[in-house]
Amino acid sequence: MKESLVVLSDVTRDYGTGGAVTHALRGVSLEVGRGEFLAVAGPSGSGKTTLLNLVSGLDRPTAGSVVVDGRAVDRLDAAGAALLRRDRIGFVFQAYNLFPILTAAENAEYVLMLQGVPARERRDRVLPVLARVGLQGLADRFPGELSGGQQQRVAIARAIASEPALVLADEPTANLDSATSESLLELMAELNAERNVTFVFSTHDPRVMARARRLVVLRDGRIDQDGPPPAASAGHAA
Amino acid sequence: MLLSLSWRSLWRHRRRTLLTASSIGLSLALTVFFVALSDGFYGNLVQGVVRLEAGNLSVERPDYHDAPEAGLVVDGVPALRARLAAIPGVVGTKALVLADGVASGSSGGAAVRIVGVEPAVERAISPIARKLVAGAYLGAAGGRDVIVGAALARRLSLKVGARLVLTTGAASGDLAEQLFRVGGIFRTGSEELDGHLVQVPIDAARALLGLRPEQATRVGVLLADGHPEAAARAAVAAVAGAGLAVRTWQEVLPDLAAFIRVDTASNYGLDTMLLLLAGFTIFNTLLMSVLERRREFGVMMALGTTPRRVQAQVLVESALLAILACALGLLVGGGAAVLGGWLGIDVRSFASSGLDVGGFAIDPILRPHLSAALALGLTTTVLVAVVLMALVPIRSIPRIQPTEAMR
Repeated sequence: MKESLVVLSDVTRDYGTGGAVTHALRGVSLEVGRGEFLAVAGPSGSGKTTLLNLVSGLDRPTAGSVVVDGRAVDRLDAAGAALLRRDRIGFVFQAYNLFPILTAAENAEYVLMLQGVPARERRDRVLPVLARVGLQGLADRFPGELSGGQQQRVAIARAIASEPALVLADEPTANLDSATSESLLELMAELNAERNVTFVFSTHDPRVMARARRLVVLRDGRIDQDGPPPAASAGHAA
Repeated sequence: MLLSLSWRSLWRHRRRTLLTASSIGLSLALTVFFVALSDGFYGNLVQGVVRLEAGNLSVERPDYHDAPEAGLVVDGVPALRARLAAIPGVVGTKALVLADGVASGSSGGAAVRIVGVEPAVERAISPIARKLVAGAYLGAAGGRDVIVGAALARRLSLKVGARLVLTTGAASGDLAEQLFRVGGIFRTGSEELDGHLVQVPIDAARALLGLRPEQATRVGVLLADGHPEAAARAAVAAVAGAGLAVRTWQEVLPDLAAFIRVDTASNYGLDTMLLLLAGFTIFNTLLMSVLERRREFGVMMALGTTPRRVQAQVLVESALLAILACALGLLVGGGAAVLGGWLGIDVRSFASSGLDVGGFAIDPILRPHLSAALALGLTTTVLVAVVLMALVPIRSIPRIQPTEAMR
C-alpha cells in the first residue's frame, strides 16, 4: 500500500442527544494512500458527506481519530482546521459554490490569496490550470456567465491551483448531465495521474463509481465494501 | 484582494448599499451643516458681543464686577494699553467708561446704560456703528453728540439733533448731569440695546462721571481669531498687575455664556441622536448582510478562510461603506455649510423683529462656519461608530458551522 495520507481509526459520529441520536458513522476505519482515486458511495444517509466532513476538519468525530497528512484533524480548533484545509486540502462541492462577485480566474486564485501568494504569481499559476481544465479564454468570465459544467471546472481549478495533497469532492457531478459528468471525471482522473493529487469523492452514481480505482461503499454508517469498483475489477481482470 | 473582495461584496446589493450610505451620509450632512451653522451663529454673536463690550478679555478693578460703581476705575490707561498691545495675539485694545443712568428728553425719561467709547476705535469694530438708521456715528472723543437706540428714541420722541440730558452717579458719589445732542440713531434688532443703550464719546463720559483723562472703567483686549484665551489671559494678568482683575467675556457676560453653553449642549445632544439613528441603520444593514451570507461564509471557511479573516472582510466592508457615506455626507453637508457661509442665509423672514440672544443682537444673515477640526471630528465619530456597530453582528461569524451553513 502507498504511504497513508488519510487515516480514520474507529471513527464514530453521532448527531443529536438522548433518545434522538442519529448514528451517522459507526466505528469506521479507513486508510487512503497518496495518489489514490477513491470513490465513497452509498445510499442517502449512509454517511458519505459526514466522512468527507470529518476528513476535512469541518466536523469532529464523536469517537475515534482522523489523521490527514500526519496531523490529527480531530484535535484542531476551527482556525487550525481552516489552515489545514487552506494548505493541504482542495474542495469541490456539488453546488460549485463559486463566489459570484469574482471572475473565474479570481475564484481559482482564492485559496492562493488566502496563502498570501502575490497577485502576479497567483495569476501566473492559475491561468495554466484554467487552460488545463478547459477554460482557456474564460478567465475573466463571472460564474453567472458560465454553464454548470464550466463552473464545476472552475471549482476544480480552485481546488487544485494551490497543489494540495488531497482533493475532496462531494458529489461533484450530481448537478451535471452525463456527458459533462463524464468529461469532468476524465479530467479529475487525468489530474490524479499527472499530478499525483489524491482524490476522494462521494457519489451514488454507478457510472461515477465505475471510474474510481478504489470504491468504499458505506451502509448505515459502516463500511460495507472496500476495493476496486466492479467495472474496474472487470477491466483489470480483462 | 481582501479590499477588492470587500468592495465588490458591498455592491452586490447596489440599492441597499446606496440607501444605507445615503442614510448615514444624510445624517452626517445634517449634523455637519447644523453644527457649522451653530458655530457660525455663536461665533458671529461672540465676535459682535466682544467688539461691542470690552473685548475677549477685560481689565478692570477686582470689585467692579460685583459692585459696579463709577469710582472703581483703571488708572494709567494709555500706558497699560501700550503694554497690552505688545502681547502676542492681541490685535487691539479699547477703553470704556460705563455707567447706569437716566436719559431725559422732551417727552420723558428712561433708564439707560451709558457707554463712553472712543469713536475712532468703535467705528472700526463695533457693530453699533454699522447699524445706524439716522444721523451719523460719534465724531470727536470730546464731542457732545451721542447715539441712541431706535426704541429709546421712539419712547423719548428723539430725533437727530434733539437734546438729551444724561443723569448718573459721578465717581465722587454726587449726582451728575449733562446736556447732549442726539447725533445718530441705531437699530440692532435687540430690545436691550435699542431700548437702553446710549453711546457717548469717551471724554464726554469721563467729564460726566468726573474721571481723569487717563482713567476708564474697563480696558478691553481683542484677540486674534482662534488665539488661545487662557494663555492670553495669563499674559494680560501679568501686564495688568495685582491691583487689577482680568476677566473673560464669559465672566463679564455670564448669562450669555451660559445660554450659549446650554444651547450648544442641546444641539450636540440632537446631533448625537441623529448619528445614533445612522448607527442603527448600518447596524441593521450589517446584521442582515451577515445573516444572509452564512452560506458564503461557510464556503469561505470550508476553503480554508479562518473565521477571523471572514470577520475582517465584513469589517472592511463596513469601513468602506462608512467612508462612502462620510464622503457623501461631507460633500453635501460641508458643501451646504461652505456655500451658506459664502452666500449667507437670510432669516429675516423668520424673525421680522430681529434676532436677539441674551440682549445682544444677531446678524439676521447667518453664516455657517465649517472648520477642518469639526469636519474631521464628526467624520471620525461616524467612522468609529460604524466600525463599532459592525463588531456586534460579526461576533456571530466564528459560530457559523460551515457544514450547516452550506446545506
